[in-house]
Amino acid sequence: MQRIVYASRNLMEGSEEEKLQGVQQILAAARRNNTAAGVTGALIFNSGGFAQVLEGSSHELAEIFERIQCDSRHTDVLVLDHCSISERIFPDWSMGFIGTNTGDELMFGAITQDSGFDVSRLAADEILAAMQRLVLEEENL
Amino acid sequence: MINGKAATLCWSETKPLPIDALTEAAMRLPEPFAVIDDHDRIVFANLAFRAAYCVNEGARMTDIETHRVSAETEFRMSGLSFGRRLVTREIKAGEDLRERVDALTGLPNRLVLREALERMLADPQACNESALLLLDLDRFKFVNDTLGHPIGDKLLCRVVDRIRKVLRDGDLLVRLGGDEFAILHASQKQPESARAIAQRIVDLVGRSYLIDDHLVTIGTSIGIATTLFGGSDADRLIKSADLALYGAKEAGRGQFRFFEQEMDDRAQARRTLEQDMRRALALRQFSLHYQPQADIADKTILGFEALLRWKHPTLGMISPAAFIPVAEETGLIVQIGEWVLRAACHEAARWPEDITIAVNLSPVQIAHHGLIDVVTSALANAGISPGRLELEITETVLLQDTNSTLDTLHRLRALGVRIAMDDFGTGYSSLSYLRAFPFDKVKIDQSFIREMSTDKEAAAIVRAVIGLGISLGISMTAEGVETEEQLQGLRNEGCTELQGFLISRPIPSADVAEFLSRN
Repeated sequence: MQRIVYASRNLMEGSEEEKLQGVQQILAAARRNNTAAGVTGALIFNSGGFAQVLEGSSHELAEIFERIQCDSRHTDVLVLDHCSISERIFPDWSMGFIGTNTGDELMFGAITQDSGFDVSRLAADEILAAMQRLVLEEENL
Repeated sequence: MINGKAATLCWSETKPLPIDALTEAAMRLPEPFAVIDDHDRIVFANLAFRAAYCVNEGARMTDIETHRVSAETEFRMSGLSFGRRLVTREIKAGEDLRERVDALTGLPNRLVLREALERMLADPQACNESALLLLDLDRFKFVNDTLGHPIGDKLLCRVVDRIRKVLRDGDLLVRLGGDEFAILHASQKQPESARAIAQRIVDLVGRSYLIDDHLVTIGTSIGIATTLFGGSDADRLIKSADLALYGAKEAGRGQFRFFEQEMDDRAQARRTLEQDMRRALALRQFSLHYQPQADIADKTILGFEALLRWKHPTLGMISPAAFIPVAEETGLIVQIGEWVLRAACHEAARWPEDITIAVNLSPVQIAHHGLIDVVTSALANAGISPGRLELEITETVLLQDTNSTLDTLHRLRALGVRIAMDDFGTGYSSLSYLRAFPFDKVKIDQSFIREMSTDKEAAAIVRAVIGLGISLGISMTAEGVETEEQLQGLRNEGCTELQGFLISRPIPSADVAEFLSRN
């Protein structure tokens, strides 16, 4: 099994609300397609960009990654980490919106400081950690 | 809708066709692809075509062989075409597809592009609406060399899939060979449309690929020509796009450029320079100057580096930086380099036997099969011992075909010749290069020496490189040393040799004897 972590810049146009809808569509499609292929992970986003973790067996992961790479709704895709894993961190699908309120800031730390979601300044482990906090949050609900 | 599911379904319903590798490749093309004879009958249809056809026409798979294509039939056949009508004209039933299709990607080839260009040029409206894009993948060779051809082949197919996503039905995508592609793009909005697709292709192809567990990143450079500026015949149009591609690569790759007249002028100037260099070789306009290399402890002269000079009959002195790149591109560097080696060895034969001679080798010379023989014969003709000859290479040499490069370096060293790494610090400065080959010497680039006293980082790099040399047991030469202060600093760090104006500028051969007697 392999894990890949990437961040990218959002190219979707429109109001915050429309973008949110757009991302929800992405996540719905991701849940549908990826679950069938045995690929799981997490997606976080704000109006500036996306960060996603994908985990799965290498062939399926490659197919899904290729589809994501070809998606015109984002650009400047930067792969932050790619490695072999023996166990999944994300056995299901999760998503989160990083807003600008204080709660988000507590949860996502450095990632929220720039509303632009500066891809070049993010590190894979930072994103992984933020995502894990997100998953914990969901479980607590 | 065309999708994998429909294709599989159709496949199971149809009787197996007699298949060779090409038919199979055509069969599995993701794009619908069919060959139609003069009577609009389908003589070959791939899986995607069959799937699309069934959905659009409501026909059953078994009907396909006999079903006539009607004028109203609307489906995409971009595999080999500009559209259905052109397929009909291009491909005759029974024609050997292998002459027109690239077996790996299933794309049409150069021949098809040329025909499409001729057809376009014969039609004034098509002319105004068309743009020719030439694409070249950046770093593809590196992927092939490091990960192997099977991965390289898969990568090419992925690249083609991504390019297809950007193109529209009327566009022709062609594989010219290797990692070169061409697109004949039609739109009523030129050049804006060509600009837009070039931009998208650069973005899409430049995104990472995940292939057989390897994360691979390449890029693409694109040159664009339109008939308005690029020429009115196929050859000129291709040449213009090629010049624009060259411009894109020169500007740093991963971008696109439109052809400009100035590119043609520059190309013309380069051709003139090349001819002048050929004349210069024949008329002996080249000469060598020699820059002393000294022991850092007491400034004893240890040897000289041979530096090429060219006095052009009308333009005067031409800097090597201006003509060496052109000589490398045209391959002329092999002959020039041979002359330098022979002349330098010959010169060294007149010096005391403990004085060495250093000669620069271009990556092109290293890749040339005759190098070992040239070095052997230059040494023998001059009658100097191999230990006095030092060959300087830059890091870029180790970027190309590493195994054969290392083999050449080892064979040179087996002759008794010394090998030095030149300009260290300016390229990738990878420590792995220093491990890959047992260099006799490393020369620290002059830019670091120059900035050593003002720039903390430069000083730190110099210190680190010298420390590395000490621990690897390699002698370290500082290039471009100009002041006593620099010399003192380098000496304190443990640097062993120096070269630069502090000792002497490069001097003509006539002055070497006097220089040696003075020092």
